[in-house]
Amino acid sequence: MPPDPTPDPTPVLVPQLGTEIAEAEVTEWLRADGDTVAAGDPIVSITTTKMALELEAPVSGRLRIRTPEGEIAAVGAILAEIG
Amino acid sequence: MPKEILVDPSQVLRPGRVETPALPVHAYARTMAAEVAARGAPALIEALRHMLVIREFEGMLAAFKAQGAYRGIAYAYRGPAHLSIGQEGAAVGSALALDPADHIYGSHRSHGEFLAKGLGAVARLPEARLDAILAAHDGGRLRDRVAAALGRAGRALAEDFLLFGFLAEIFMKSNGFNGGMGGSMHAFFAPFGCYPNNAIVGASAGIAAGAALRRRLAKDGAITVAHAGDGATGCGPVWEAMNFAAMGQYGRLWQDGGGRGLPVLFFFTNNFYAMGGQTSGETMGWERLSRIGAGVSPTALHAETVDGTNPLAVADAVARKRALLLAGEGPVLLDVECYRLCGHSTTDANAYRTRDEIRLWEEADPIRRFAATLESAGVLGAGALDDMQQEVALRIEAVTRAAVDPALAPPVDLAGDPTRIGRLMFSHRETTLPPAPAPGVADPAASAALRAIARKARAGRGADGAELPALRAITLRDALAESILHHMIHDDRLVAWGEECREWGGAFGVYRGFSDILPHHRLFNAPISEAAIVAAAVGHAMEGGRSLVELMYADFIGRAGDEIFNQMAKWQAMSAGALSLPVVLRASVGSKYGAQHSQDWTGLITHIPGLKVIYPATPYDAKGLMAAALASEDPVVVFESQRLYDKVETHRPEGVPADYYRLPFGVPDVKRAGGDLTILTIGPSLYPALAAAAELAVAGIEAEVIDARTLVPFDYRPVLESVAKTGRFLAVTEASERGSFAQTAAATVARHGFAHLRAAPRVIGAQNWIVPGADMEATYFPQAHDIADAVMADFFPERRANRRGLRDWDDLALARAGL
Repeated sequence: MPPDPTPDPTPVLVPQLGTEIAEAEVTEWLRADGDTVAAGDPIVSITTTKMALELEAPVSGRLRIRTPEGEIAAVGAILAEIG
Repeated sequence: MPKEILVDPSQVLRPGRVETPALPVHAYARTMAAEVAARGAPALIEALRHMLVIREFEGMLAAFKAQGAYRGIAYAYRGPAHLSIGQEGAAVGSALALDPADHIYGSHRSHGEFLAKGLGAVARLPEARLDAILAAHDGGRLRDRVAAALGRAGRALAEDFLLFGFLAEIFMKSNGFNGGMGGSMHAFFAPFGCYPNNAIVGASAGIAAGAALRRRLAKDGAITVAHAGDGATGCGPVWEAMNFAAMGQYGRLWQDGGGRGLPVLFFFTNNFYAMGGQTSGETMGWERLSRIGAGVSPTALHAETVDGTNPLAVADAVARKRALLLAGEGPVLLDVECYRLCGHSTTDANAYRTRDEIRLWEEADPIRRFAATLESAGVLGAGALDDMQQEVALRIEAVTRAAVDPALAPPVDLAGDPTRIGRLMFSHRETTLPPAPAPGVADPAASAALRAIARKARAGRGADGAELPALRAITLRDALAESILHHMIHDDRLVAWGEECREWGGAFGVYRGFSDILPHHRLFNAPISEAAIVAAAVGHAMEGGRSLVELMYADFIGRAGDEIFNQMAKWQAMSAGALSLPVVLRASVGSKYGAQHSQDWTGLITHIPGLKVIYPATPYDAKGLMAAALASEDPVVVFESQRLYDKVETHRPEGVPADYYRLPFGVPDVKRAGGDLTILTIGPSLYPALAAAAELAVAGIEAEVIDARTLVPFDYRPVLESVAKTGRFLAVTEASERGSFAQTAAATVARHGFAHLRAAPRVIGAQNWIVPGADMEATYFPQAHDIADAVMADFFPERRANRRGLRDWDDLALARAGL
């Protein structure tokens, strides 16, 4: 069977940022929806009540934003997919 | 942590050597002919005369201290006399090279520097400017009195004015330059560039550095001079100040065009003794004082060792250093070697030095040497020195005779006006903000973090009445940020600094996003130098700036103890109101991190006169009181609880106004109405008190909960009105009970509300022991059940309620054990 030409996209999740944090706000998308990003590129800035930090693209590929700027997402929620 | 500066291991870890510049020692080599050609004979003779004036002036003080009389004038002078006899060459030499617009900050031994700078200003300011200064001071009254008493006009009157105003201040008379509130060690007269002397060794270093920050930002083309003795090189705050003035960011990150450092000259008058300890060879390791410059910056602060017995060597060095400062190459350091021929004070028996040594330095007496040099150069004729000494002695005698005359220099009338000094503590004035934004600040919409605040709900409860999470509604942190941002945008005199304040946004994120829109010279990361952070804030404010500084944890107040307690708190009153100190000091009170990171020090700060103190507990109060603090011309300490930064506004249904507003200082706020007892809360104690009130209500007891909000000033009337209604008073604080503001409040209520009280007032605070770790904290900070226990036990014993807290102990027994 030939390999799947479109493998499943890789999700970008809200990370667990300490035991007291349950959710984070998407403060700013540093790259636009549809951009091609490289693994390691900073793509989004998120803010919790304790800190603000930038998340990097886990893989290279096309960025599909699932949670827009200003939304609040729970730990583990999908912020974007890269595929 | 600026991302602009890469820490590259391939560069950092390369082998190499640290090179420090060679530092000149006594390199002055101009000929007298060159000096005469450059300065002119009259200027050199004038310099000699200024040295004679200082010598005679201090000789007069010495005579009063030793014999109670000077040239037939009897006077009992009871204040300090830290004299600089033998050091006049350093003071006058420096003043020769300074411009009247330059500002000197003195030490406890700065009569000479003050007089030299003042005499220099009198000699060099345009006469119209001198007239204006004399007319402006105290409405011209001092000028008129001096003119009437001493009968001179023009520059001669200005000289008499300087000598009389300074001496009357040393004698702490009502018409001394600082209204008698400063005295010998704290005198100043800003119009001549004589900024405060300072009785705390080395304290002027940090203040002058902050003053230089303001001068750099104001671009006024002048410098500040921090005077200190050699002994001050042993003081940590002096090192902090030198580094603060030399931080790498000025040259590498700031875009204000001010060069690589602050325009401040650290002028060490090195007389080889720190009172009785010998610096070189005994108490310090530097051997040559100038060496310490090499420990501060790659330029080694352009340090030099200079012959302080020769005013022209000092003038030459100061002129060269001043040019470096104006070119943005500061800060600079001079090690000015000279000798104190007199004692440290009149009780000095010279136990620490030999007669032979003193005799050697008498040969190097700067007056004797300089006069001889001028004579051999043909500048000073035979007998001219005697004539000058005679003229100067008669001048000082005339000024002294006037200054000891109570008709001409009346004592401060405290019998007639007992609260006069108290009224000098605060001006209670506030600034108005220009409506237009200051230049150089970007639109807040450019910052994602600031857009995030703008998206939040203003009220802390949703439509269903449930409390919103901190990410969805304005928190106390956001409320502080909104007021601070408003002031930063509208007032470019306001500059903020502290550790991690810029990219990090402060350790607790109040400034998060600010670095997106504010340039470095408005908001910058400070070194871990709490003393310099606060001292610079004081100096910056003295010179017309407004300062907002942060100590990451209130526990670090100890690191800035002198700067907060002696400098920030006292200069308004010590200047008799001539100085304003718009300084806001933010200090966050920790939690969970144990004894050195969680203590509430409100008791300590409120004990020190001269500081306004606020401790808001709700977002609405935090925003309005922070605005009041930033608008205040008086210094303000803002306590912020780390446990409350994420609190949303639940007391006002309409939430936190988006627009700018100020709340008045000193007005406690009723957060819950009730008729059975009054609970006054300080800071975060509001929340357990409200929880206790809810529990008590179930038992039919209605507590009125009053949030102090401000501790200094404090209007007791709302509290006393409440007590008149309830007859019971409890104060709750997270500070250790002993010496707390809550105890002060309870004592005041006991006295003024006694007729209404049905039981003794009670205080519940933290215990008089260390703050324990996170898991034990609930045993330390008063909890709702502790409050309810105390209410039931002290005010309603007949109800015989079960005790739920741990505080079932004998307070008197604990007190006997030191607890």
